Amino acid sequence: MEKSFNLLHIIQHRRDGYGFALRPQHIQRYREYANIYKEEEEERSYKWNNFIEQQAKSNHSTSSEEECRGILQAEADELREETVFERGREEDDSSDKNSDSDGSTKSYPGKEVKLSEQPEKEVHLSEEPEKEVQRSEQPEKDVQLSEEPEKEVKHSEQPQKEDHLSEEPKKEVQASQIQERETLLSKESDKEGQLLKETKANKVQSWSWTRPSLHVIENMMSSRVKNIKDMKYRLNTINGDHLPSIKETGSSGESSVAEIDKELCIKETSDDNVDKSTEETNVDSKESPESFFPWKELEFLVRGGVPKDLRGEVWQAFVGVKTRRVERYYEGLLAEETNTDESKEHNNSNAAPRKWKKQIEKDIPRTFPGHPALDERGRDSLRRVLVAYARHNPSVGYCQAMNFFAGLLLLLMPEENAFWTLVGILDDYFDGYYTEEMIESQVDQLVFEELIREKFPKLVNHLDYLGVQVAWISGPWFLSIFINMLPWESVLRVWDVLLFEGNRVMLFQTALALMELYGPALVTTKDAGDAITLLQSLAGSTFDSSQLVLTACIGYLAVTEARLLQLREKHRPAVLVVVEERSKGGRVWKGSKGLASKLYSFKHDPGSLVEKKVSEGDKSLLESHSSNLDDLLSGLSVDPEVDSLPDLQEQVVWLKVEMCRLMEEKRSAILRAEELETALMEMVQQDNRRQLSAKVEQLEQEVADLRQALANKKEQEAAMLKVLMRVEQEQKITEEARIGAEQDAAAQRYAVNVFQEKYEKAMASLAQMEQRVVMAESVLEATIQYQSGKAKAQSSPRSVSSSVESPRRRIGLFGLGWRDRNKDKDKPTNDDSGTS
Amino acid sequence: MGCSSSLPDRSTGRLGGLNNSESGGVADAKNLRVKLVLLGDSGVGKSCIVLRFVRGQFDPTSKVTIGASFLSQTIALQDSTTIKFEIWDTAGQERYAALAPLYYRGAAVAVIVYDITSPETFNKAQYWVKELQKHGSPDIVMALVGNKADLHEKREVPTQDGIEYAEKNGMFFIETSAKTADNINQLFEEIAKRLPRPSST
Repeated sequence: MEKSFNLLHIIQHRRDGYGFALRPQHIQRYREYANIYKEEEEERSYKWNNFIEQQAKSNHSTSSEEECRGILQAEADELREETVFERGREEDDSSDKNSDSDGSTKSYPGKEVKLSEQPEKEVHLSEEPEKEVQRSEQPEKDVQLSEEPEKEVKHSEQPQKEDHLSEEPKKEVQASQIQERETLLSKESDKEGQLLKETKANKVQSWSWTRPSLHVIENMMSSRVKNIKDMKYRLNTINGDHLPSIKETGSSGESSVAEIDKELCIKETSDDNVDKSTEETNVDSKESPESFFPWKELEFLVRGGVPKDLRGEVWQAFVGVKTRRVERYYEGLLAEETNTDESKEHNNSNAAPRKWKKQIEKDIPRTFPGHPALDERGRDSLRRVLVAYARHNPSVGYCQAMNFFAGLLLLLMPEENAFWTLVGILDDYFDGYYTEEMIESQVDQLVFEELIREKFPKLVNHLDYLGVQVAWISGPWFLSIFINMLPWESVLRVWDVLLFEGNRVMLFQTALALMELYGPALVTTKDAGDAITLLQSLAGSTFDSSQLVLTACIGYLAVTEARLLQLREKHRPAVLVVVEERSKGGRVWKGSKGLASKLYSFKHDPGSLVEKKVSEGDKSLLESHSSNLDDLLSGLSVDPEVDSLPDLQEQVVWLKVEMCRLMEEKRSAILRAEELETALMEMVQQDNRRQLSAKVEQLEQEVADLRQALANKKEQEAAMLKVLMRVEQEQKITEEARIGAEQDAAAQRYAVNVFQEKYEKAMASLAQMEQRVVMAESVLEATIQYQSGKAKAQSSPRSVSSSVESPRRRIGLFGLGWRDRNKDKDKPTNDDSGTS
Repeated sequence: MGCSSSLPDRSTGRLGGLNNSESGGVADAKNLRVKLVLLGDSGVGKSCIVLRFVRGQFDPTSKVTIGASFLSQTIALQDSTTIKFEIWDTAGQERYAALAPLYYRGAAVAVIVYDITSPETFNKAQYWVKELQKHGSPDIVMALVGNKADLHEKREVPTQDGIEYAEKNGMFFIETSAKTADNINQLFEEIAKRLPRPSST
């Protein structure tokens, strides 16, 4: 680990903070998260340091009162919770009374009479002096712990303080643990027994390099390993809210109650001998002795992540390496190796170890290739650890995936510690997982499939439709415990919780959390390949490790070890049947769908199965069994002694398979129908859309046409307007011309009139003139006649004159008229007088 | 629209890896999806073949495959059909064979790989052939692949052995080298040619 830290700056571009290779596509995201990781790391180191110091201090003290101080805090925690969940108090109270009645509280008889709501106060009083001592040692903690008088005030303050510590999980856990508390009452004496263990454990030497400050956790966890009473160490505190995570099913009694604890604290000094005796009787009761410890607080810390520099040791503590370790065992295994290798050369009696050895050799260079810490020496260590494990547990031997586990552990701790941690993980946590048949691993896949069907029915429906089996993806997740499947920070955080809890619950919770996080994206995929690729790549980029771990731990509290055990029991028979069939070379399961799906439909239709069986005949026999087919099946597969009905067995198996197949077909038919319907709806919608778009197009066309027409019309109009204007103009001109013409005409008419007048005048004057002429002529004639008359009178000339007279008159008439007229004028008086 | 294209094929109910939805084979005459599974002993280079085919890379220090890993790659053939290979690369260790049915069930293609420098892996390949003949899809296309052909100086399994065994079992045989990329693409192209086409019926 140190090594990889030192190398950090050199290799940062390709490797993460742990020295593991980063995929090129993740480098950017890793960089984004690197700072977050750093901040988280700082925060958690601070918290852990506080916690450990506090625990270590109480650990070192030999006085019971000191330990009670630790309890105090746990109690405070508990009380806070209880203010919310008051029903949880009832058991506490009653247990309190019980312990009162057993007379162990002689040191503080008066104070036992107390309000059940404030039980810790009493203890406080007794502890006051000690806290003051502590205060000088650990100032920051004393803010919380010291100052007796303020305790009540603090008590009310702390809930706020704790609020950010995600109380929700606590609440739910609490609810589930109320029951456990009930069982506790009967086990009180058992707890007392642990007091002894503690005192004895004080003498136990620490084998590992684990820092003493972690011994508290280590010892506490060791209690899970086995009932080795001498190794037990009574830890300083007790909290009612323990994890329900102890390996053994029946171990739920570990949780306990603050009041009891207090009593025990007190008892420890006074009743040591009594405890010893009670312990003797209780050791054999096969209960997992639970240490008194602030589980809740530690759980919270673990979920927040273990600091890098503590991780190796904390993990060892969680796994209980100290308890597991047997002196010289590891060296013995390695020595055996060389011996057997030599002997194997001669007699090939046992091929398995050679096979493992060969496989290990193949896999060593392929374990975190290129990691700076896995140099030649690192690989030698890896080899030794793996070989030693194979020898230690020949029923498992070596299985691919262990190389990664061992490699990871070697990065965090010395070789032998890694070996024992690996032993703990593989022998306990993953018992039956990596054996030749990998039965538990297959069972877990069935269990997981059932869980995921329950939690995400829609997602699973979609995956079914795509033809994706969840186990294809979750199988590798589980088998590798997420190594190489998630970014390293996330892997380590998952391991933190997993090792702490001591079972495989976290595997399920994490896998469910991943499905929760990425389910929505998965539902959008259209084919199996895309779905798997997407899930793989999304999981591979789960850099937000805190989100993942908290989603897993808090979101899936209902997934408990008890529930898993129950589901495993249910699914195990099916796996065993398959394994058996396979080993026989039978074809029973061939060609049909997935095991998990089979079981699913099977378990959902026990009724129809029974019917079918009955109809098959052999009624009397079958009916007797039909009520409990699963039992029958497990009996068939597990118990080879049920040989009396071999035909029936086969028939049952065959029928089940047939039934499963039919159910499967039905289910897939229903699925298909649903999908078809959706597809149809889609198509219908598409159809409508097409129609509409056609209409729109048509309308658009029309609009365009109309626009065109409109444009044409406008053009025409413009042309017309022009013409019109021109015409108007012409009209105007014509008008003008007309007016001009009229004027001319008027002028001409006037002229005509004038001329007419003139003409008339002229005519008039002409007529006058003619009159005058006539007058003149007549005058002239008259004159002439006068003159002729005169001549006649003068005798005779007249005759002659008359002949001469006629030409003269003519002249006068025609040429001499004017002279005549003038003569007239000259001699008007003459004329006038003559004529008038 | 993916559903509208895949549904008719599924409803025809034809048998075989290409049509069953679980096989991952969707048959649209032009765009096939094919579930392919790689089997073979540990360390023969299954993952390397896939990586070479899908990413064109070769990493001599690739890591151990746990359970199985998935990659997909689409190739285009000359007749303009495309084939999307959905490749399950399984873990090689013997005990993981217990999980293998999960992956080869419904596969249209099985590529069984051995290492030409190791007769043991050739034996293991024969085990897989038998296993698939017993438990695989009846019309599964099987290919026998002798990998690490670049290490010919260390060869211990004669090419002829591979050819003969493949012939006897109706398989297609090829020797490849993921390291030098020899015959890797040919392997998958040859598989593609041998696939039953939905259009042909």
